[in-house]
Amino acid sequence: MISGARQGKLSGLRQLVASAMARDPGTFVVPGHDIAWAHGLDLEAAGLQQVASPRHASVLLVIGDIPPALREAAAVIYAQMMRPRIILALGSTDLSPLPAADIVAGISQQELANGVHTLRAALAKGAFHPDVSDFDAPVLQIRIEYTCSMHPEIIRDEPGSCPKCGMTLIQREAQATAAHEHTDHPKMKDDEHAGMDHSMQHETPVEYTCPMHPEVVQNEPGSCPKCGMDLEPREEQADAMHDHQHMDHDAAIEYTCPMHPEVVQNEPGSCPKCGMNLEPLAAHDKQDHAGMDHSNMDHSSMDHSSMDHSNMEGMAFMSMIDVTKDLPRSGDGLPMEWIEAPFGPFLPGLPGGLLLTLTLDGDTVAAASARSLTENTGLFKPAPIDSQSFIEQLSDMNPLAPVSYRLLACRALEDAAGIDVPIISAHARIGALERERITSHLGWLALFGQQTGFDWLTQRAAVLQRKTRHAGLKQISALKPALQSMIKRLLKAPLLKSRTVGIGKLTPDTVLYGPVARACGINNDARSTEKIFTTLGFKPARRDAGDVLARLHIRLDEIMHSISLIEAAGAISPPAPVTTGTLSGTGKAVIETPRGMAGLQLTLQDGQVATTQLHTPSTSHVALINPLLEQQALGDALTAVCSLDLSPWEIQP
Amino acid sequence: MSTLEQYGILLGLTIGTTGLVLSLYFLARAIGKTRREPGKDVPATSGQLSRDPVWVRYHARYYGYALLFLSFDMEMAYMYPWAVVYKQVGLVALLDMGVFLAILFLGLLYGWSQGALRRQ
Amino acid sequence: MTTALILLLLVLGAYLVAVIESWAHSGRFQLSAPLLAGIALLGRESIVPRKPDRIFYEVAPVLLLISAVLAATVIPLTPELIIADLATGALFINAALVYVLVALLMAGWGPNGAYAMIGGWRFLGQLIAYAMLIVMPITAVAMRAESLLTTQIVISQSGLWNILYQPIGFILFFVAAMALAFLPPFDLPNAKSELAGGVEAEYSGVRLAVFRLGRLALIITLASATVVFYLGGWQGPWLPPWAWSAIKILAVTATMLLAGRYMPRIREDNLLGWCWILGIPLALLNIFLVGVLVLVFP
Repeated sequence: MISGARQGKLSGLRQLVASAMARDPGTFVVPGHDIAWAHGLDLEAAGLQQVASPRHASVLLVIGDIPPALREAAAVIYAQMMRPRIILALGSTDLSPLPAADIVAGISQQELANGVHTLRAALAKGAFHPDVSDFDAPVLQIRIEYTCSMHPEIIRDEPGSCPKCGMTLIQREAQATAAHEHTDHPKMKDDEHAGMDHSMQHETPVEYTCPMHPEVVQNEPGSCPKCGMDLEPREEQADAMHDHQHMDHDAAIEYTCPMHPEVVQNEPGSCPKCGMNLEPLAAHDKQDHAGMDHSNMDHSSMDHSSMDHSNMEGMAFMSMIDVTKDLPRSGDGLPMEWIEAPFGPFLPGLPGGLLLTLTLDGDTVAAASARSLTENTGLFKPAPIDSQSFIEQLSDMNPLAPVSYRLLACRALEDAAGIDVPIISAHARIGALERERITSHLGWLALFGQQTGFDWLTQRAAVLQRKTRHAGLKQISALKPALQSMIKRLLKAPLLKSRTVGIGKLTPDTVLYGPVARACGINNDARSTEKIFTTLGFKPARRDAGDVLARLHIRLDEIMHSISLIEAAGAISPPAPVTTGTLSGTGKAVIETPRGMAGLQLTLQDGQVATTQLHTPSTSHVALINPLLEQQALGDALTAVCSLDLSPWEIQP
Repeated sequence: MSTLEQYGILLGLTIGTTGLVLSLYFLARAIGKTRREPGKDVPATSGQLSRDPVWVRYHARYYGYALLFLSFDMEMAYMYPWAVVYKQVGLVALLDMGVFLAILFLGLLYGWSQGALRRQ
Repeated sequence: MTTALILLLLVLGAYLVAVIESWAHSGRFQLSAPLLAGIALLGRESIVPRKPDRIFYEVAPVLLLISAVLAATVIPLTPELIIADLATGALFINAALVYVLVALLMAGWGPNGAYAMIGGWRFLGQLIAYAMLIVMPITAVAMRAESLLTTQIVISQSGLWNILYQPIGFILFFVAAMALAFLPPFDLPNAKSELAGGVEAEYSGVRLAVFRLGRLALIITLASATVVFYLGGWQGPWLPPWAWSAIKILAVTATMLLAGRYMPRIREDNLLGWCWILGIPLALLNIFLVGVLVLVFP
């Protein structure tokens, strides 16, 4: 019995349909395809077809342990999947608020194949069940908030009166992000909100009101707290204005939708047709309303701003120029409305776990903000921890580059404990680090191919990544021609250059690490300062353009350089666990992970790790996103984010 | 068959296709009804619930191209009948339409020089 | 009778397009995969997103299918096998295919969701880029045939196929046809990785099945149109006409579906820029060249 079955008895036509569904499972991968590739899984070979939208998926594939914030996003995805839906969990322990996994397996290709086999049988038998229950989770509930129209910073969970002015609080549906208003105007920052003087002075007769929100009235000029427009002066008596805005004024106050003036209600709420908040409509406008011709209103010809005319009370006719004069201007001078949309955490093509929120002006990014939902607050707690679990924790923190972080932990511990490592094992460690660099860059290439819609690249890079993951010395040398031919073919692909040149340009004066830095001409490579690398013949790669194409070239160059480093090192083996006994001391280490320089400082007390300080390249890179995406087209913006090769798992809060 | 009969067949095809689609919808409905659950009907935005309406004034950046497209589209309406009688009329037809196309092409060049043919 | 046969062949053609598409993607030839996918989609729930524009949302998939079917009615598979040999056949194809835009805009606006909306408007930008490059080469083809009858257009190629007579026109039409069918690298409206499915994202269950069927029918119709206009339709030695039609149409379909795998998605700015600055002058040149050739070699 699967938890996502459809209601009904399995008989006749339904049986045929269920067996067809079992043979065609669309899969939505959580947290992302990059994690699947990093674990060496081949989803297509196991029989799972990846889909982009949860509505097309019947299988939710969860790989590895998922942090709580990401689990909530996964619950949202699960809720949006169409029944019958089934959860296949690989190596995950706790899935709440998702229901318990229907099929559980370990993280390996063989177990995945077995899991898919069981899944098919389960789907064929369990797609319809007479007794099903809804899936509900706190994150899915519509949160009704109560707020004061004059003081939007007052938000309560129950109805009541505003503590500042005594007006009854009006209902509002909570939007995607907290304190999020009607989004067609740029949001005001919180400090602007707080700095505004909302207090009413009853003596002065000149009031300032917002053309779009006539219930907002202030005594000094300023900006409307709801939409940010400048307030217009209005000559009205203080009493009439009072009557207008007091919400508990009897009966004459009705609420209407700015886009659908035919929707008129007696209490506040949201429009049943489009979901926007209802605005109060002044009493004497009702006649105007009734006289308006509603018959030829249809959505395609709706002009949002002109609809507001019907709500304006006592205003003279306002031309479009007046109505839009305080709206934000785009680069070409036109005032248009912006929407805010989340692109993540599970967008195919972006690293899984990165929540990218874009404010879009058409299809241009007006503002961007990115944060990682993979924060693991339990990392390195409770302190102090013994060195073995410390190494394991740091290595598990980032499934996209486990060997680099393991090496970082070991080197820091050895530095703190004063242990020296013989040359042979140092060489073997370098072999492992460089092999992981190749694997990580190939995984990035596959993700880049997915982001740009370049199917051949995705498939080829994923195949090569699987082969390189646990390859020995001989196999890596054997893979060299295959890698070279892939690189050559990639660089000759039509449209690649036009797609990537000049996009996502970064200047050398920002704080950058790793391939992103080297693509700008900054010679930032932790390996160039280490003698052991120079003895192996290491030379850092370098380009000057600083755009997506340069980063692509750098990573391709680094793949080939890493192969020669591995061949020079002559051995590959991950670092052996470090025993620190009961030593004390402080240590630090710096490793060039595939994404950039990572640094770790720790103190040892009696062989246990007491304090740690970790710096990862993705933490600095994620701050670059907002300036990088300004005024970029949506496709270019996403390509630029993908080219930064962020790992949300290593972003420190 | 006459043109009216041909268009009649096309109308019949349109209605027939709609009928086919409706019967598929009924078949799917017979298999089972869609269950309404919390959060299921919110447009899918990769893991975050976004209930904001998106019916806003969209800032299309290609309006420069769109204006030129209008003029060329009107031109194409003239070119279809011209193409059919072209061979009959001969060189004169080429010159006539050539002048028309040249004027339009100059318009295109002008638009290009004024920056209409780029992302606004 | 002819109507029923052609419709059957259209369905078969759409089915084969699906098979070819899955072969292009996975390298494996699975003849039963589209049928299973279709039945599976029938069995899944189909939900309407909240607060949609109901009319637009429901009409869009049907309109896509209707537009593809209507465009297919004027395509001759053999000299007798055509549903409606309209005197304005070549023009009618274009007229019917314009409704693809209307359908995708409806699918973009209807669901009241960000991804679909952006996908819909991006497709409008794409249309402004490719539309002239469909119409102008058709005009040049009609110049050679002295008629807009699709059967006449095929007959006019009995000496030399149009792909050799007007190669510029062929290239422009082929690229524009791929853009009309929003195939990769022109899959801006339903980009899997930028818009998580875009206009397709909010459709599920049987509505998605109709949408996908419409898309498949559109691809096969466009491939057939390319064959009729440029590759000599049913003409060819030894084999019967219907066999040649089938071979050519499937070959063009396979080319269209395979080409996109080896290229990243095009940027909309580049598409518009290249089509208007490079494409339109080339199309005008093509018309001029065909005009001269038609007069010089009657």
